[in-house]
Amino acid sequence: MGLQGVGPIERMLRTLLGPLCLLSGAVVTAGFFFPELVVEPVSGPTWLVLSLVFFGSGLGYLAVLPAESDEDADPFDPESLLLVRRLGLTDTLGKFLSRQDPIAFGIPVVAFVLFFFGQLLVPAETIRAVDAAQRAVTTYGGWLFAAVMAIAVLVSLYLLVGPWGTVKLGGPDAEPAYTYPVYFAMFFTAGIAAGIVFWAPAEALFHYETPPPYFGVEPRSEAAAGAALTYTLFHWGISAWSAYVAVGVPIAYYVYQRGAPLRVSTILAPFLGVANLDSIWCRLVDLLAVFATIGGIATSIALVGDQFLAGIEFQWGVASDTVGSVLFVAGLTFVFVVSAQSGVHRGIRRIAAVTLVLFGLFAVLFVAVAPRTAVLEYSSRAIGSSAVHAIPMSVYLGNGPIASAWVADWTIWNWAWWFSWAPFAGLFLAALSRGRRIRTVVLTGVIAPSLATMAWFLLLGSTSLHLQQTGTVDVLGAIGAAGGSEAVAGFPVLESLPIGQLLVFGFLALIVVFMTSSADTSTLAVAVLATKREFAPTTGAIVFWGIIQGLVAVSVLVTDSAEVLQATAVLTGAPFALLVLVSLVGLVAAFRRHERGRQSIVGAARAKLAGDTEDEGG
Amino acid sequence: MGADTPDPSEPALERLFYRSERVRLVYWGEFSGAKAAVWLTGLAAVLSFITGLSNLSQPEPAFDGPLAAAIPGDPVFLQFTGVLLAFVLGILVFGLQRRRRIAWYLALAVLPLAAVLPLTTLQATDVPLLLVILLALPLLLVNRAAFDRPLELTSLQIASLSSIVGVGLYGTAGSYALRDQFGGLETWSDSVYYVIVTIATVGYGDITPLTTGAKWFSLSVIVFGTGAFTVAIGALIVPAIEKRMAAAFGTMTPTELTLLEDHVLVLGYDDITEPLLDELGIEVDVVVVAPDTDETDEVDARNVTVVAGDPTLADTLEEARIDDAAGVVVATQDDATDVLTVLAAREANQAVRIVAAANDREHVDKLEAVGADEVISPMEIGGRLLGRSVLGRSSADSLFEDTDGGG
Repeated sequence: MGLQGVGPIERMLRTLLGPLCLLSGAVVTAGFFFPELVVEPVSGPTWLVLSLVFFGSGLGYLAVLPAESDEDADPFDPESLLLVRRLGLTDTLGKFLSRQDPIAFGIPVVAFVLFFFGQLLVPAETIRAVDAAQRAVTTYGGWLFAAVMAIAVLVSLYLLVGPWGTVKLGGPDAEPAYTYPVYFAMFFTAGIAAGIVFWAPAEALFHYETPPPYFGVEPRSEAAAGAALTYTLFHWGISAWSAYVAVGVPIAYYVYQRGAPLRVSTILAPFLGVANLDSIWCRLVDLLAVFATIGGIATSIALVGDQFLAGIEFQWGVASDTVGSVLFVAGLTFVFVVSAQSGVHRGIRRIAAVTLVLFGLFAVLFVAVAPRTAVLEYSSRAIGSSAVHAIPMSVYLGNGPIASAWVADWTIWNWAWWFSWAPFAGLFLAALSRGRRIRTVVLTGVIAPSLATMAWFLLLGSTSLHLQQTGTVDVLGAIGAAGGSEAVAGFPVLESLPIGQLLVFGFLALIVVFMTSSADTSTLAVAVLATKREFAPTTGAIVFWGIIQGLVAVSVLVTDSAEVLQATAVLTGAPFALLVLVSLVGLVAAFRRHERGRQSIVGAARAKLAGDTEDEGG
Repeated sequence: MGADTPDPSEPALERLFYRSERVRLVYWGEFSGAKAAVWLTGLAAVLSFITGLSNLSQPEPAFDGPLAAAIPGDPVFLQFTGVLLAFVLGILVFGLQRRRRIAWYLALAVLPLAAVLPLTTLQATDVPLLLVILLALPLLLVNRAAFDRPLELTSLQIASLSSIVGVGLYGTAGSYALRDQFGGLETWSDSVYYVIVTIATVGYGDITPLTTGAKWFSLSVIVFGTGAFTVAIGALIVPAIEKRMAAAFGTMTPTELTLLEDHVLVLGYDDITEPLLDELGIEVDVVVVAPDTDETDEVDARNVTVVAGDPTLADTLEEARIDDAAGVVVATQDDATDVLTVLAAREANQAVRIVAAANDREHVDKLEAVGADEVISPMEIGGRLLGRSVLGRSSADSLFEDTDGGG
């Protein structure tokens, strides 16, 4: 229905969510402005539920608001009444299944069911097996991740300045359908989840306490602070985002220049040919992409649920059990399913905008109250040190080709996580890129988001380091008290600043919107991959996959198997690291064959300087 | 899901990602217009009220803001200004909604004032108000052109307002000059307080005239001040209530009609009446005179006064107060009736501007001959516009653009 305009269910949702948002919003506003009068009589969990209901229903309402173009549509569609009568349950199911790709749809569903039965029946063995596999992969396969990541960075940078950056996706006359702000906002918010919120104040502190062996500095020393920030920037900077572009640019190129279908398996086009993209290999790649995406996103949702409530418990002493986490995940699932089914132009776009606005607003408020001179000092040092150490850090593993425990636990684990997100984020980047030059795609996919994340990590990371070093707040002590959970790091940092209460609110809101804006996109991507290639995913399919993601997240919480599934997601990152390599090789080969005679930025600049006025053929 | 009929000719890519021409992150037009500016000012009023109350309700007010040091006197005083300014802003929003220029100027002055309290206390609760003010101010500035309507006061309203101001000044200055002859009156603020309490007929009695001179002076303030106060209330508030009443009960009674002044008379009911009423808007008082009650019911729903009657009759026109009307539009369904109506209207009021609509373009000069100041043939205008539009010389919409701003 969402793809077709506004359906009766959406209209019902709107009439339900609007008043709900207003009512809960009124109570929350009252509580915010009159803490003494209103907060006391109401219990902590009630407040939590109220605020989440307010925020969630607001986001949901925003998603189901009709688009400008839908306003003219007939408000009442008599077809919908006939439809209800015409479709029996079996009919609907049959129709639904007939449009699904048997491999990409069936196997993941069966596999996830099996996985959780295994988890329930033999928990210890499953955990041990998966854990050992993950450890082996990150330790001994570490060189592969590091190498592929380095290659992805090099290729991205070459595309940015080299001659192939001038290729315009969709032909020279194609006009981008998305303006630049929405293009950037949707990709940026899809590509990064709540990790950006949790880890920003926390990661540098972890490295400060246990410094990276590459730097060989004393724990908790002045030098460790610099090393910690440098490594944090490395983990969240250009390298990480390059993985998305390494999948996205090839897909976009074959889709818009060669007419391939919009799927992850399209990266195999240079080897199989565009006509043969129906082969079993492609099915396997799509299947793997579905696995990686669901594994990556569902685990993130479960983790975010846990972290969010752990933070709440730390901050306000509102203890919650599994039921609380499950309810939180259920609410989150509802919001991102509503957003995903409403389509790119409505829910996904609007929630991306909300995320970006909140992100910017929080950053501005934070800058206004942060210890600015300290932040500047730390940041300038970290940026300088990053520039010097970027290349050595990229190839450093610890014990020659074998990753040391620290590198395996942090760098390689992190790369594997980004690789497991690459299929859906790359697919989404490709989907939005028609009419853009490859140079713009790389700029939006790597440079702009990594600048945003790096600035953010510098801001929060150096503030928490500064507070820790000066002894204003013992953030590490707080983390230790909470069992080493990174989820609590933000609260003592924010609390120590002026208007800290407001910042904590913003912090929690950011966690929710960043997670939603990734999960709705991933739901759409999985639905595209699991639907037969001749169809667009139906609303039913999108809702189905969204609920599957929510269910996987809930079962992770119930069986307490977050670590297992996390390890699984990291494991799916390994084949994707290989696939990224394959796709980059294929892309370079295809460019060498089809895109000769273009001019690089340097060449163009030289030509311009020489006063050369002839047409450059771009 | 059954609604999504499969269409293999349209790939997933197109259906999902390229359904509309161009997608923006924010449709600025929706969020940056005059309407948004009014909304934001309204939000600032509400937030100023809530923030002020929240500040007052705190047992120990904190003053952490950058302005705390710069504020002379007791900062506790400031806490009341938040709530007070909220009321002022509320009135201004009312004026902004009617696109009054003076409300725009005052809002520009009051909004920064409303930011003084949050900048002085700077608690977490103050940040929303600050942000809204920061957004509302530039929006108001950008949309300056939209707030261009002058404040239209009737002569009675101007007279009563100025006499209140005059008596206020006279009373304040006078009682201060005679402060030795008053019990309990010592400072300028005492005299302001005394004059307002007196004019408003409250008279607490804590300040009393002691000498005969002072008593005479007080009497003069009471007579002129209370009089002006009462008249001002009548002139300012009664018309508003009258309007509400009229809206609630539909047609006006003859006594209510007598209060009309500078209204526009629309004589007759035709297809063009609805767009005509749209164009006249809510700013002008409009009275429709039409014989047929079925059709006038539709007009009634728009809160426009309707006088049921034959517009060609002098009595009906008298009842609709044609002698005080600012203008007359004649647009009945029949040109012959139009001629009679113009004749009747011209006879009733020699000076009023009469505009007539000719259903047939042949009749334009005849209508002019019987006394219409301007005759417009809707058919002719429509035909010409159609011609221009198809040749691409100018679109019909461009014709209306300038009228939107000027209305």
